[in-house]
Amino acid sequence: MQKKRNNNKKKSQSNFAKLSIFQNNRYKFKKKCPFSIKGAPIIDYKNIKLLKKYVSENGKILPSRITNVSQKKQRELSLSIKRARNLGLI
Amino acid sequence: MNLYEHTIVARQDVSPSEIKQITEKYSNIVTKNNGEIVQTQNWGLINLAYMIKKNKKGNYIHFKIKGPTSIISDLEKNESLDKNLLRYMTVKVKKFDLDTNYFSKKEDEEKTNAKKKDEN
Repeated sequence: MQKKRNNNKKKSQSNFAKLSIFQNNRYKFKKKCPFSIKGAPIIDYKNIKLLKKYVSENGKILPSRITNVSQKKQRELSLSIKRARNLGLI
Repeated sequence: MNLYEHTIVARQDVSPSEIKQITEKYSNIVTKNNGEIVQTQNWGLINLAYMIKKNKKGNYIHFKIKGPTSIISDLEKNESLDKNLLRYMTVKVKKFDLDTNYFSKKEDEEKTNAKKKDEN
């Protein structure tokens, strides 16, 4: 009986270790940037279909924390959206 | 030598023959300044997202230009005086992608393909 109890204790400890801050968090749900994957579309001010996905209904640019676009690509996106706005496309 | 993408928005009530004149006029300016027009795209009448000078639609013309910077200053000088135009924009690019045309109808695509064949 005693042996079994010991085993249980060890198991519980190992579970705790998984949840520690310093370990790599496997359970995080984070989407990858949609423009950094292989075969991703090129950001262009002429591609309105693509740009409209990243613009709210009121025509505002969506923040990257919602769309999970990487910082570098978000800069490109915002520039091309502004270009499209200037031409009256969006 | 630089590569530029140049787009013009003309007024909605400009006739197709006048659009041809406009494209010729600006392509002449480019060739005068030792430039070269790689491709011209006519996107046709497109609904504007918002009113520009009481226009709901616009005729879009798109140039892909190769040449020195003096072209752009000359083009924009003339375009700012042109009353048929609503907007113009130039973008400097590192590489042209000549294959994709986001605004093309099927007829236009065939035309561009035919032109490419002629050039070859």
